[in-house]
Amino acid sequence: MHEADRDDLELHRRLAAGDRDAFDELYRRYASSAYGLAYRLTGQQILAQDVVHDAFLALWRAPEAFDPARGLFRTFFLSLVHHRAVDTVRREERLRKRTERAANLEPLTGEDVAEGVVGEAFLGIRRKEVRDALTTLPAEQRQVLEMAYFQGYTQAAIAEELAIPIGTVKTRTLAAMRKLRRALYRED
Amino acid sequence: MTENHEAIEELLAGYVLRSLSGEDASRADQVLSDHVPTCAACRDTLAVFQGVTADLALGAAPIEPPETLLPRLHRDLGPQGVRRRSMTALAVAASVIAVVGLVGLSVTQGAHLNSTQNSLNDISAALDLAGKPGASMASVDAATSDTEPLTEISDPGVQEFYLFGRDLPSPPTGTVYRIWLVSGSTPTFVTDFTPDPGLTLIKMAFDPSRYDEILISIEREGSDPGEPSNAIWEAAS
Repeated sequence: MHEADRDDLELHRRLAAGDRDAFDELYRRYASSAYGLAYRLTGQQILAQDVVHDAFLALWRAPEAFDPARGLFRTFFLSLVHHRAVDTVRREERLRKRTERAANLEPLTGEDVAEGVVGEAFLGIRRKEVRDALTTLPAEQRQVLEMAYFQGYTQAAIAEELAIPIGTVKTRTLAAMRKLRRALYRED
Repeated sequence: MTENHEAIEELLAGYVLRSLSGEDASRADQVLSDHVPTCAACRDTLAVFQGVTADLALGAAPIEPPETLLPRLHRDLGPQGVRRRSMTALAVAASVIAVVGLVGLSVTQGAHLNSTQNSLNDISAALDLAGKPGASMASVDAATSDTEPLTEISDPGVQEFYLFGRDLPSPPTGTVYRIWLVSGSTPTFVTDFTPDPGLTLIKMAFDPSRYDEILISIEREGSDPGEPSNAIWEAAS
């Protein structure tokens, strides 16, 4: 486990005891990642703010929802943000017809933001690893993965949008996940 | 790896991305409740895929949220050192507790609870779900004004949800109520039920947030679930 992940566990422990400083530190560590993800999914600042607000508030009100025995805090929290963002997108289906896409829809070739402190520096390293891993995916696999994860499409909707069989969507999705698994978890 | 596991991995990949719908979502619910808990390989795959999807969050460019967000959170955190539970969760819990009281009365009166212990276990589980931070309670409205609405207790991402209602009218003889989850135009059969006198509480092993709508129809008892006929209750999921 990376030092930053261990620090997260300690911050979570303190937060669970009611320590507001620990809450603020976790906010400082994850707010920009969470907001970037929520904005990319929802495409609207107000909705993205609500997603991030609700996720942090849920963390504060029920910190026991994260079980350190089941994985990293980062995994838990960013999954929470993603789930809430997807739910928001699906509930606001009309927003999917927006003509203007969020400005950060093409992040994979974009800049790395300055991330100075220990936790953020680690996130920056991991961010580069994720982007590098994504660039190794064949275009058709990356496309279905991004439509599912970053745009909240169901596999059925992806099949319809791309005019391909849903079985092809499933096959490409699994292939992409396996490649990312090998790349990010150093598996053979 | 068997072909069966290949299909399961496909489901798990779609599941962690929250991209399943319709029949696939139902199959995933079954796999997650029946197979994964007993299969070390699938548990490992699920855990790693969950890690991968969490890492994917870092694929979005980080953006500093508006400066007003942290002060807004501070206001909502409540007084220093005091952690308040979600009012939504409290409201849900209060409603279920009220139902527990009703069940106690029904049991005393010898109402038709097939298994009192099982019912109480379900109510306890509903209370646990209601107490979770993202839990919500939503009304499932009836198509006619003379029928009381049902109440749905759910928590997005949790593989179960509950419906409860009071004094539900019995369906016509030879028919049952049939619950469906609808994604797009695709209905997924969930279960049939006939109401108990007083309280009816139905537990279902699905994550309703992955569907667009919950719908309850009246169908001939024992008929094959194909398409729902007339909706008696329905609501966005």
